[in-house]
Amino acid sequence: MATTELPRPALPEAHHEEPGGIVDYLTTVDHKKIGILYIFTAFGIFLAGGVLALVVRWELAQPGLQAMGENTYNQVFTMHGTLMIFLFAAQVSTGLANYLIPLQIGAADVAFPRANAMSYWLYLFGSLIVFSSFFVAGGPAAVAWTAYPPLSTEYFQGTGMDLWIIGLSVVGIAGILGAVNLVTTIFRMRMPGMTMFRLPLFCWGVLVNQLLILFAFPPLTVAFVLLFMERNFGARFFDVAAGGNQVLYQHVFWFFGHPEVYIIILPIFGIISEVIPVFSRKPLFGYRAMVFAFFGIAALSFGVWAHHMFTTGVVYLPYFSIMSLLIAVPTGIKVFNWIGTMWRGSITFSTAMLMALGFILVFVNGGITGVMIASPPIDFAVNDTYFIVSHFHYIMVGGLLFGMFAGFYFWFPKFTGKLLSERLGRWQFWLFLVGFNLTFFPQYLVGLDGMPRRIADYQIERWTSANLASTVGAFLTGVSVLLFLWNFVVSMRRGAPAGDDPWEGNSLEWVTTSPPPHHNFHELPEVHSERPAFDRRHPPSFPGEGADTDPERDPDRG
Amino acid sequence: MQPSRRAPARWLAVTALVLAAAGCTPESVTEQGQAIYNLYSLFLYIAAVVFVVVSGLVIWSVIRYRRRNDELPTQTHGNNRLELIWTAIPTVIVLVLFVFTIQAQNKVLDSPGEADVNVTATAFQWSWRFTYEGTGAEVVGGPETIPELVVPVGQRVRVKLVSVDVVHSFYVPQTLFKRQAIPGVTNEFDLTFERTGLFHGQCTQFCGLQHTDMVFRVRVVTQGEYQSWLAETTRRGAARQPGT
Repeated sequence: MATTELPRPALPEAHHEEPGGIVDYLTTVDHKKIGILYIFTAFGIFLAGGVLALVVRWELAQPGLQAMGENTYNQVFTMHGTLMIFLFAAQVSTGLANYLIPLQIGAADVAFPRANAMSYWLYLFGSLIVFSSFFVAGGPAAVAWTAYPPLSTEYFQGTGMDLWIIGLSVVGIAGILGAVNLVTTIFRMRMPGMTMFRLPLFCWGVLVNQLLILFAFPPLTVAFVLLFMERNFGARFFDVAAGGNQVLYQHVFWFFGHPEVYIIILPIFGIISEVIPVFSRKPLFGYRAMVFAFFGIAALSFGVWAHHMFTTGVVYLPYFSIMSLLIAVPTGIKVFNWIGTMWRGSITFSTAMLMALGFILVFVNGGITGVMIASPPIDFAVNDTYFIVSHFHYIMVGGLLFGMFAGFYFWFPKFTGKLLSERLGRWQFWLFLVGFNLTFFPQYLVGLDGMPRRIADYQIERWTSANLASTVGAFLTGVSVLLFLWNFVVSMRRGAPAGDDPWEGNSLEWVTTSPPPHHNFHELPEVHSERPAFDRRHPPSFPGEGADTDPERDPDRG
Repeated sequence: MQPSRRAPARWLAVTALVLAAAGCTPESVTEQGQAIYNLYSLFLYIAAVVFVVVSGLVIWSVIRYRRRNDELPTQTHGNNRLELIWTAIPTVIVLVLFVFTIQAQNKVLDSPGEADVNVTATAFQWSWRFTYEGTGAEVVGGPETIPELVVPVGQRVRVKLVSVDVVHSFYVPQTLFKRQAIPGVTNEFDLTFERTGLFHGQCTQFCGLQHTDMVFRVRVVTQGEYQSWLAETTRRGAARQPGT
């Protein structure tokens, strides 16, 4: 097997051996360990946010206030949204990206290992600052995760709100720093032969996602700084009485807020685009179209923010409507290309593949209702009702979590050298699929019937059955997450040995050991296509199979 | 694991639920809301077809092409013609939907000439004040009272929506319409109720501690009832607040 000498990365000094203790994790600049830290932290936050979600569902199971007062309820749903959107959803993918990107591009580490470590620690401490608001007088913020002024400035006193702003600003800065690192890594650290159009789709998803972060997080951080100044220093950016403008905040917030959806979901698209070809034993259908679709989605995502503001009465509706509708096109390309990949394939139903299939079904559902609410008149009806709640949970819970679990089951063997139990995995999958749909489908119906979001109670009796179903579904979903934790614990202890390449993978991480050595590779194959690991198993015997003979994809990049 | 047996059941269940959604939109009680209802129905039918086709393709392909042997399937990398088709079809669909959207939107937001009734709705933490312009009639809600917006059937009611503190939102589910009440912004929209009745209304933009309780009602009455209600309310208002 031909091997290629690695480019000399800017390797940090010292500890080439792997002590693996706590001190090692506290001081590490190894991208794999930082990736693991990210994943554990994000998953811990996900569990906390999930408990808050169950508290919300518990309260809403029946009409009347049973479990808590309105203030507590407002704090619970505010912190649920905050933890999930800001501290979990984008970060768990950053963790996977940290671990996998250098492996997939054949590098020994990321471009800036120290900045990488700093970005993780900023993220952790920013999150802890947000968590600390649970312990101050008055408790955490109760202003919804969107924190519209003047509710979040003049009308909500208490240190909790300030800690919320400070913590999230720190996390925002961590995100920007991390994005600089990952973008640079993908552009500059690829091994010889790994041209851009041979990058695994997960790398493309992460690249575009991190570029979006670079454009979307700065405005968000600015919005938070302005809020902080308005709360504490008498600045009046959003105060009408002083010539400020409330709608300005909505614009700046959603200029971040909508791209954030794609920041969360693009790496997931990447995961799905890795998992489906492997378990269909075929190359990804329409590789280039998939890449262009990423950029199409990214470009459009910055032109749609005001569809969150259709009901303000002060935005130009047709522009934001058509842009939002058009996002369905590149997204549709992705879905059809996944189907094209499976078509005439040879499909194995591993848990990772089941999760990927679950992803497609629920994501299409959420995407279709997304098209509906891109139409302003329909949005007038359903905006701020449970229809919207259901729509974005189909994308965020359905899309993100199915994709995340697909990624966990797929790469856990690479991270640990052991397989997660497939039997528990299948239980988890079916329980999750049923629980998820039972939670959120009724919310479409009760939303269409007019139930507003963010209310602690409802007096309308006919909303009860849908809410009860939703609550039962939420707890089933909770059980499925517990099954995953159980699977994790059991498999860490006595999981079956995975070997280096349990799934017959395509990308470079499957040619190294499981877990990979400190410097990632002992040897690397030559890269002639987007599937170097596949090419190694199936050396090209004639043109058209295995290695790519397309002259455009010649290995001699500049 | 036998996906071939379970998958169709799941598919059927999901489809049934999607179709069930069609029956769950409230029929609109306003002329403007009717346009939204029609548009929603159009979107829903197209959505249902798209969902059934796409999930059908997914489920068909995983059943039909599940692994049967160790033979490597043909390694196809793509098909430009197919990819063009599935780029073009969604584009056409969304452009058509956009045209219908604009038509419906023009009907919903159309406010020709003078309205028959002019009401200023003032949102505040955590209730509503409805002021009938040019009459002196006013309805104010509070912690113990749910305010009622009384309007005549068949007449064009113009609502001027303002907020005195934080962002709120005026929403009557059966009009299929809502609008934010934003400090510093005056929003105007027309509602023409087509039948009498009592309808639930609620703030839908989270506005602080008692957001949940910020409900109101719309009572749509005949023209005659409206006139006598207006006279009575004006008289009581004047009596209750002499000189203010």
